Amino acid sequence: MAIIERPVITEGVELAPLATPSRAQGAFKRPVSATGWKSWLFTVDHKKLGIMYGVMAMFFFILGGLEAVLIRLQLAAPNGKVLSASVYNQMFTMHATTMVFLFVMPMAAAFANYFIPLQIGARDVAFPRMNAFGFWCILGAGIFINLSWFFGGAADGGWFMYAPNSGPIFSPSHGVDFWALGLQIAGIASLTGAINLIVTVLNMRAPGMSLMKMPVFTWLTLVVQFLLLFAVPVITVALFLLSFQRNFGATFFDVSAGADPLLWQHLFWIFGHPEVYILVLPSFGIISEVLPVFSKKPLFGYPFVVFSGAAIGFVGWGVWAHHMFASGLGPVSVAVFSISTMAIAIPTGVKIVNWTLTLWGGKLRFTAAMHFAIGLIVLFTIGGLSGVTHSVAPSDTQQTDTYYIVAHFHYVLFGGAVFGLFSGFYYWWPKMFGKTLNEKLGKANFWLMVIGMNMTFGPMHILGLQGQPRRMYQWTEARAGEGFFNLAFWNRIASIGSLILTLGIFLFIVNVIKTSRSKERAPLDPWDARTLEWMTSSPPKEHNFDVIPTVHHLDEFFHRKYEQDPVTHEYKQIATAEEIMADQEAHADKHIHMPSPSYWPIVLASTLPVIMIGVIYSIPVAIVGGIFLVLAMFGWALEPSTAPETDFDPPASGESTKELAPLV
Amino acid sequence: MSTKIRRIVAGVSGLAATAFLAGCAKDAPQDTWQPKGSNAKIIDDLQQPVFAIAGVIGVIVTCAVVYCIIKFRDRGQAMPEQTHGKPALEIGMTILPALILAGVGVFTFRTVFDLSKTSDTQMVVNVTGQQWWWEYDYPAQPELGITQPIITSGQRIIPVGTKVLLRETSRDVIHSYWIPALNGKRDAVPGRVHTLRLDADEPGIYAGQCTEFCGLSHANMRMETVALSKEDFAAWVANQLTNAKSPAEKTLAKEGEGVFLNQCVRCHQVNGLKKVDGTPAIAAPDENVWAGAAPNLTHLMSRNTFAGAAFDLLSKKCRADVWGASSETVGKKYLAGVGEECLNQTDLRRWLRNAPAMKPMYADPAKLTSTNGKYRGMPNLGLTEDDIDKLVAYLSTLK
Repeated sequence: MAIIERPVITEGVELAPLATPSRAQGAFKRPVSATGWKSWLFTVDHKKLGIMYGVMAMFFFILGGLEAVLIRLQLAAPNGKVLSASVYNQMFTMHATTMVFLFVMPMAAAFANYFIPLQIGARDVAFPRMNAFGFWCILGAGIFINLSWFFGGAADGGWFMYAPNSGPIFSPSHGVDFWALGLQIAGIASLTGAINLIVTVLNMRAPGMSLMKMPVFTWLTLVVQFLLLFAVPVITVALFLLSFQRNFGATFFDVSAGADPLLWQHLFWIFGHPEVYILVLPSFGIISEVLPVFSKKPLFGYPFVVFSGAAIGFVGWGVWAHHMFASGLGPVSVAVFSISTMAIAIPTGVKIVNWTLTLWGGKLRFTAAMHFAIGLIVLFTIGGLSGVTHSVAPSDTQQTDTYYIVAHFHYVLFGGAVFGLFSGFYYWWPKMFGKTLNEKLGKANFWLMVIGMNMTFGPMHILGLQGQPRRMYQWTEARAGEGFFNLAFWNRIASIGSLILTLGIFLFIVNVIKTSRSKERAPLDPWDARTLEWMTSSPPKEHNFDVIPTVHHLDEFFHRKYEQDPVTHEYKQIATAEEIMADQEAHADKHIHMPSPSYWPIVLASTLPVIMIGVIYSIPVAIVGGIFLVLAMFGWALEPSTAPETDFDPPASGESTKELAPLV
Repeated sequence: MSTKIRRIVAGVSGLAATAFLAGCAKDAPQDTWQPKGSNAKIIDDLQQPVFAIAGVIGVIVTCAVVYCIIKFRDRGQAMPEQTHGKPALEIGMTILPALILAGVGVFTFRTVFDLSKTSDTQMVVNVTGQQWWWEYDYPAQPELGITQPIITSGQRIIPVGTKVLLRETSRDVIHSYWIPALNGKRDAVPGRVHTLRLDADEPGIYAGQCTEFCGLSHANMRMETVALSKEDFAAWVANQLTNAKSPAEKTLAKEGEGVFLNQCVRCHQVNGLKKVDGTPAIAAPDENVWAGAAPNLTHLMSRNTFAGAAFDLLSKKCRADVWGASSETVGKKYLAGVGEECLNQTDLRRWLRNAPAMKPMYADPAKLTSTNGKYRGMPNLGLTEDDIDKLVAYLSTLK
């Protein structure tokens, strides 16, 4: 199918004058390439952007993973010499920063971008250019933060960058500057993305899809966008304070000027705790799609899962100080935050119960996606329970800042977030690329990851409980204890585990390469799925659906395929996916309006790192960047809303294009 | 079904618990599950049942999932009932964990306030963290024999069975004071004073470590708390209240005193040390060191670690003897200090030769502009081997 976003002058059909506003408004032409590198650079298509988010996040996942392997190599033996103290401190700071901001968040954004419009039966997101702008921002942020490695060293204060250790005296390299300003750019990406997806979900659902008929992935991602919308401004403020302190001599965290360093901790964790749910809820959403499909049952207690997700979104704001139980808050605050933290375990527990009961009585097919989803239930439960032990504040004062908490958040974030994302890869790969990832390799990938992850992070529980603090570039035998199973033994096991984990992830990359070379096409509905994104071709056409579906049920696609016999109550197949698809194509919408590509998102986004470099090294550069920023904004504003017909090359043939709906 | 599952649950949880306990190191010095003081015991009494409950729930969830995997695998059965849930079951499964957590919450609440109690404090020690060592200053407390303030570092000495209140602060960044055997950790924050109660049931050396990331040498910022019997503590106090005696003329140590006056006294105080003109030598580290302080070395050899408790002043053999001593003998052995035959010459000399090479510090003169011209930590003083011999001889006299 050729390009469909161009307006077509069909003989005999008179378009309203409003259909060609492009000639009346706008100073710049819009790009029109549908193939080649330009089609990626200037795209506003949510699916292409989703793939770009994914590729970028995968790159940073590998980078952050290699950083982790270096950390484990350093700690494999006492008095490790692989890294110097300074490089080690940079390494763990950047490992966390990379994994949180440059892998899990963009990877969740990849899935959200790609699948939310498909799951709600929309043709794109509400603000396509803003969507592209968000991607170029996060890519710029990732490159910018990592540039610091080549400019005198990366940030070295730990990912929560406590003041005053992050100040110019105590962290004299420019690493923290790059870190703070880079995260500022990443924050812009998150905010624009959040606004975009909220508007999309609230306004662009297919007819009939009430909020309580929405797929759970869309629901939980919607919760995440609200969390982002309110959490990102807080870190933005904190990062501004830090940057002004470092670059312009402000004294927000300077104790000698009367500041209280705990201000930073409160600001950081008011962002930082919702951030934890920002990282893990998308994966909860993914497995809430995967488990029902491979159990051949609807999600058990859909409203409970949705409302517990929303409840987590609310209660998540009232627990931040549990990161500060040792900070000296005083017993009243500690007790209150201890109780509120226990409270948040309840909605989380509800989810685990619901997932388990979704399996119960089902007809389980153990695909690779299902392996990862079930793996998440068990591993996240372990992380959740160690989280409950942390909520007991007196106990936390023993375990916080030891390896026990490193174990806890890796079970939550690796066992939770990452396993969910991998489940999503295997489940949605055929939808995104038209080819199914190799299941055998997928299962090997799963088992290596499960074994590797438990070997790496499991022993950390013991290490922490036996007193090994985190963030130490070396450990010594003097504090390792006696006996065969001393801390030296567990450190070694953890390091070996990290290599097995690496091998598991390597298998995934092998699988991707192998699959991309394979000629075998995936069937239209390989998993007998339940939700709308499967009710179109794989990969979907640029306009997603030939017909915008009218929704009558939760799990609409399932109900179009199966019908309950009113007498026997048994489910019988009434249509195949192919038949539904053929019916759609036969009744394709006559008017499809799609946004044109645009130069401005990438141009506008690329001015931001220039400004940030200027802030660090030379203000005139920042001013030049600022001027280009304003110009790019004008360019954006003055761009016509579509590309005129004559710009397209080659010209469309009548049959293969669709008309453009008049612009309103 | 239920008995079978119960048996599996019991078996697996028993196995897991045994594996976990067998998998632990013996005598890890910073073990959080071996409380040796009343505060740590209060914490332990709370956390043991919580860990047990968490463990049992974990096993139940795992067993339920495994049961589903085995029981409900696709064997060609008919399409399952498309149930959307059972609200009664769901509400029950929401209330049950809420009740368990409410129970845990009540005990947590009580423990938090129990641990914050300071009204029955018997002794106060001010604790100041800085990059990368701890200073302890004992305000005058005549009822404990402390007639004048005592300043020491690295190892904090307390009388056994005495309720000690730490008043913590910091001179630069945030640190955290943590002796796992005696209590949980508490951050030392610049500009604030935080309190933490500690007491030890038995004489002994209790290891700890800074647990808030505090920059380059965070890993090397250690500390110990040494609990002594009341008599031993009185003896320790009496010794700490004395000034250092100048070594006899014409000894190597006396020459070492000269080197010390030349090189070290800028930052390190030795009480009673006099300059050549007879006036007291007062260290003014605030001019040279970012934290504005360096360890007081008056009774260096009464401690058995140095440089932020990162290295041993005792040779391997002597260290094993003191640290491994029973609670009856540890006091006497500790009070004996570091004698000639026990001194760990190797590490002390390496330290004097090039301190930043042993413990990374921002002490490079080329980078002083970024820290307002002040050192962070001890710089390489460029001492000759001759000077080092003399200094070691002098430092050995600081008992």
